[in-house]
Amino acid sequence: MRKKIGVAIMAGIMTCLTAFSVVATGCGGKQKPDFVMPDGGFDTNNSVTISFYHTMNQDLRGVLDSAIEKFTEMYPNITVEHKQIGDYDDVRDQIISEINAGNQPNIAYCYPDHVAAFNTSKAVQSLNAFLPDSEYKDMKVTRADGMEEYICLTEEEQKNFIDGYWEEGWQFDDGSTMYTLPFSKSIEVLYYNVDFFRDNGLEVPTTWDEMEEVCARIKQIAPDDFVFGYDSEANWFITMCEQMKVSTGKEYYTSSTGTKYLFDNEKTREFVQRFKGWYDNGYFTTRALYSNKYTSTLFTAASGEKCYMCIGSSAGAKNQVPTGNTFEVGIKPIPQLDPAHPKVISQGPSVCIFKNEDPQKVLASWLLVKYLTTNIPFQAQFATTSGYVPVLKQDVMLTNATYADLLSKADGGDHIAALSQKVCMGQTAAYYTSPAFPGSSKARDEVGLLMQAVFSGSKSLDAAFEDAIDECEYAYPSD
Amino acid sequence: MSEEKTDPILTEQEEAPVLAEEPAIGEAALPVEGEQAVLSAEGEAALPAEENGENNQKPVLSPQEKKIIWKDRFNRYKAWLYLLPALIILAVFTVWPIINTVRMSFLKDYDALKAIGGASFTVGFDNFVNVAHYRRFLTCLTNTMLLTVITVPVSTMLALLIAVALNSIKFIRRTMQTIFFLPYVTNAIAIGMVFMAMFSVIGGNPSQPLSIGIINTIIEAFGGKAVNWVNAGSSKVANMAVLIIYIVWNALPFKILVLLGGLQGVNKQYYEAAKVDGASRFRIFWRITVPMLSPMIAYVVITGFIGGFKEYSSIVGIFGESMGPVGADGRMNTMVGFIYDAIESGNQGRASAAALILFVIIFAVTMINMYVSKKRVHY
Amino acid sequence: MTDFHENNENEMTAVQQETLQEEAVQAAPVRQESENKAELDSAENLMKEKDIKTVSRKQTAMKVLVQIGLYVFLGIMALIVLFPFYWMLISSVKTLDEYNAVVPTLWPQQFKWENYAAAFTGDLDLGTLLLNTILVGVVSTLLSLIITVLSAYAFARLEFRGKNALFAALLATMMIPGELFTITNYVTVAEFGWLSNWAGIFTTLVVPFLVSVFYIYLLRQNFMQIPNELYLAAKVDGTSDLKYLWRVMVPLAAPTLVSITILKMMGAWNSYIWPRLVAKGTIDLVTVGLRGAAFTDLATGLTDFPAQMAAVLLVTLPLLLVFLFFRKYIMRGVSRSGIKG
Repeated sequence: MRKKIGVAIMAGIMTCLTAFSVVATGCGGKQKPDFVMPDGGFDTNNSVTISFYHTMNQDLRGVLDSAIEKFTEMYPNITVEHKQIGDYDDVRDQIISEINAGNQPNIAYCYPDHVAAFNTSKAVQSLNAFLPDSEYKDMKVTRADGMEEYICLTEEEQKNFIDGYWEEGWQFDDGSTMYTLPFSKSIEVLYYNVDFFRDNGLEVPTTWDEMEEVCARIKQIAPDDFVFGYDSEANWFITMCEQMKVSTGKEYYTSSTGTKYLFDNEKTREFVQRFKGWYDNGYFTTRALYSNKYTSTLFTAASGEKCYMCIGSSAGAKNQVPTGNTFEVGIKPIPQLDPAHPKVISQGPSVCIFKNEDPQKVLASWLLVKYLTTNIPFQAQFATTSGYVPVLKQDVMLTNATYADLLSKADGGDHIAALSQKVCMGQTAAYYTSPAFPGSSKARDEVGLLMQAVFSGSKSLDAAFEDAIDECEYAYPSD
Repeated sequence: MSEEKTDPILTEQEEAPVLAEEPAIGEAALPVEGEQAVLSAEGEAALPAEENGENNQKPVLSPQEKKIIWKDRFNRYKAWLYLLPALIILAVFTVWPIINTVRMSFLKDYDALKAIGGASFTVGFDNFVNVAHYRRFLTCLTNTMLLTVITVPVSTMLALLIAVALNSIKFIRRTMQTIFFLPYVTNAIAIGMVFMAMFSVIGGNPSQPLSIGIINTIIEAFGGKAVNWVNAGSSKVANMAVLIIYIVWNALPFKILVLLGGLQGVNKQYYEAAKVDGASRFRIFWRITVPMLSPMIAYVVITGFIGGFKEYSSIVGIFGESMGPVGADGRMNTMVGFIYDAIESGNQGRASAAALILFVIIFAVTMINMYVSKKRVHY
Repeated sequence: MTDFHENNENEMTAVQQETLQEEAVQAAPVRQESENKAELDSAENLMKEKDIKTVSRKQTAMKVLVQIGLYVFLGIMALIVLFPFYWMLISSVKTLDEYNAVVPTLWPQQFKWENYAAAFTGDLDLGTLLLNTILVGVVSTLLSLIITVLSAYAFARLEFRGKNALFAALLATMMIPGELFTITNYVTVAEFGWLSNWAGIFTTLVVPFLVSVFYIYLLRQNFMQIPNELYLAAKVDGTSDLKYLWRVMVPLAAPTLVSITILKMMGAWNSYIWPRLVAKGTIDLVTVGLRGAAFTDLATGLTDFPAQMAAVLLVTLPLLLVFLFFRKYIMRGVSRSGIKG
């Protein structure tokens, strides 16, 4: 009997196997056409409904709701169905499933890595047709408020974007196509204990060499404490690569074409080795190495183990307020290799538009995306509410009274979030983003793990680098 | 009230009768009871068979007549009719995806998104070769096996003991049972946090940590030496130990629920008879409880193995997505962890191949389990 | 078992049997509630008859010791099993700062009951979410129970060609990680056109998970414990299978069916990935609200776990209480009719 069962099952499996490996690949017809401008441009008469997936909750959704309300007053025929899907990964998974079924949304709020993943199916709409140099650049649309608006981005609007963010949209493939517009961002900043630095006559380091000196001095003052905490090893690695690129012009991290993973080289090994020495001296710890606690808990601690500087996201400023307000918090740009050409990593969501059979939907989506990313009051409101930084330049943002007022109040006490905004807006020229391609998020994870392995002493420098490259090449082989 | 009736079990037949062979039951007892139970059906439809005494007045069926009943042609179709709803849904939502999985496994680096984008894929065994060549393939495989082989017997045994204990107490019994239900409302985040709090050594300076964790405190209280369980620099053995405790802990509530459900169905008269007969508790446990419960035990073990081979979330619960302590990422990864990684990187072809490899292993183990249980389980 | 019946039948007349039956029915609930006493009493009576008082005392002492041992064992296990639950309880009233503290506290330094209030005042529409979840949970549990009972019955009692092979094949479907099915199933329901309206989405939430081989197997095991004689006799008497199933098998398997109901309902309560994927605002379930980013700061990714746990407790605890009541109620019925094995 038992044998029979086995035979029956094996037979069943074999039949299925042979039958269906022959069956055609199935879902091939889900690809949507590229956008072609309809003859009359955007049709303001027929109603059109567009969907927008994002991760905004509570307060932020309120900000978005009022912006969309204003937008639909100008375009009454557009209905926007926007929906919080979950977190960023949830949005990604949702959209990947939907692309498979051909019912993806029109707009997504997402990280550039995710856009690279979506685009393996060629589902993401290129934005090139909507840029200032587009063939459609003179086309206009008449809004309900009687004003005429260029469909494409005007040159002036483009110039308002912070350069580093604008370039992020071009970080795909060979760099000739723009797929995303930045929506809101955060950067890394250095939080420091103002009282401690003042009392001990210390200067906040602006270069990594100065950092090393400050570490040595603080270690003499407080031998049992850490000097600084760094939340993300991956950011540290990537930032170092970018800062090195300033002087040599060479890529040290990744490239979206050819050999993708460039991060195993002498220069990178050099700084990892250097920081390993710092770690061994007890100069710093990281979130992962410190039992997965954000290093802000060390920075703000009233007693027990402490640290005096903390490098983390500008959006997390409100978590850097010390328990019981025991000291003043200051915020500065992160240390550099070359202070004359600073580089600081920026992260945060962008927006992309998906291809659709109905060009009116694509146009409507574009008009909304353009509105949300270029509208100064919305950007100001969103930044104030979320802790993210606007994607428009400081002088542009300062024309907004609310935002100008916010920045004017910036201090390390009650208005630490404002101080964070101010410090960020003061160094917009330093922002950079890394190439986005399938595998870019894997590379990010792996360089972080590599640093952890070396710092904790679990792996030798060689082994850590080799493992990281192996993992990347296994998951997403270079071409 | 039932001493008279139950006496014969143990007095006349020292071997607990529950161990009798199945065919014997079928043939000897066929005509005697049941009818009444069905007819008198109301609330007490399932009255103990032994209470339907008039049955012995009914004529005994000959084997031929029995065969006629069994061979009733309608019966064959009927079984399929009963199974129809389940089979239809399974065909659409389980069998079809499995077939799709098989298809994807033979297309090199298949990714549905790429397929939509117009990419084509080579047909062949590349995915299987690729999976087997992953440098941590063996690690994933041995971790999976080790965790399953250790946790399933341990958790089953513990659950059995708890279920039996729960069933043999009287005072605050219901309260106790309720307590063992409560884990069902505990969410995964809480459990993960508990383990971090219990096992984690906290503080940047390992020689002078801020907190050595609850478990280490207990170990030191008993004169032992604190162990680095899950933090950077911990040993694989320590990691494994924590995982095993975590998995057993996680598996207990379900197993207790099932075994308790089984126990509550067991006829109390057997126990009373056994007690009257002066059988020791141990003997009662092995001779009555375990055989009576054997179908449920078999169930718990077999499904435990199937589930154990699919272990993934508990590793994430303790070590996070890096599937290992800091500095040794991937060390505790399992087969399903590997499959997840492949799905995450858009390589459904590789994920499918790994799933099929895993399938073959689970299938073989289940067949062995079924074979063993066929011999041991008493229905 | 077999011999046992034969003996009984040989020894007793039908009349005796009937009286006994009545007695048993009346006595059963009492016995269930005070078994300990009854058990000790009967043991003591026996001992008295044998008139060996010393042995009696010794045995009673033994029994007490064993009972104490059982309570100690259960107490320890209960503590271990309950610890995460306790942790969740205390976490739900901690402040986020305390929850994130470097050294975790075993008792909240300050209680933040606002976490519970937050579940209602936040942007979660708990009322609608709960209603949706109850609707989906009840419908899918009921349908699932019917399908499970029918299938388990077919596997446990009916004879048909290929039964064992089919059963093994069903088991085999459990052996492939279900995560691989998500996309394929999503495409399937999209092609069925189920994602376009309320009824379709409701169907999508319920149907794909109605069949659980896991539960069919569990119930089959339980059904197989029920003596075959009952079935054959029913056959002789011409009782239909369905009637037999409903009148005999289902009541006898009640404890298992209750377990399955609890598990299935809890499953509906906890399911996340599929509901999130298909519901998208039409019929959102509780988890989509609780586990989604509702408690997470968008910019920093920091989740307010205390508030989240408060909300989770708030929605799951009542459910569990309902079940415990339900279970108690059913168990009472079971012990009245209880034979098995």
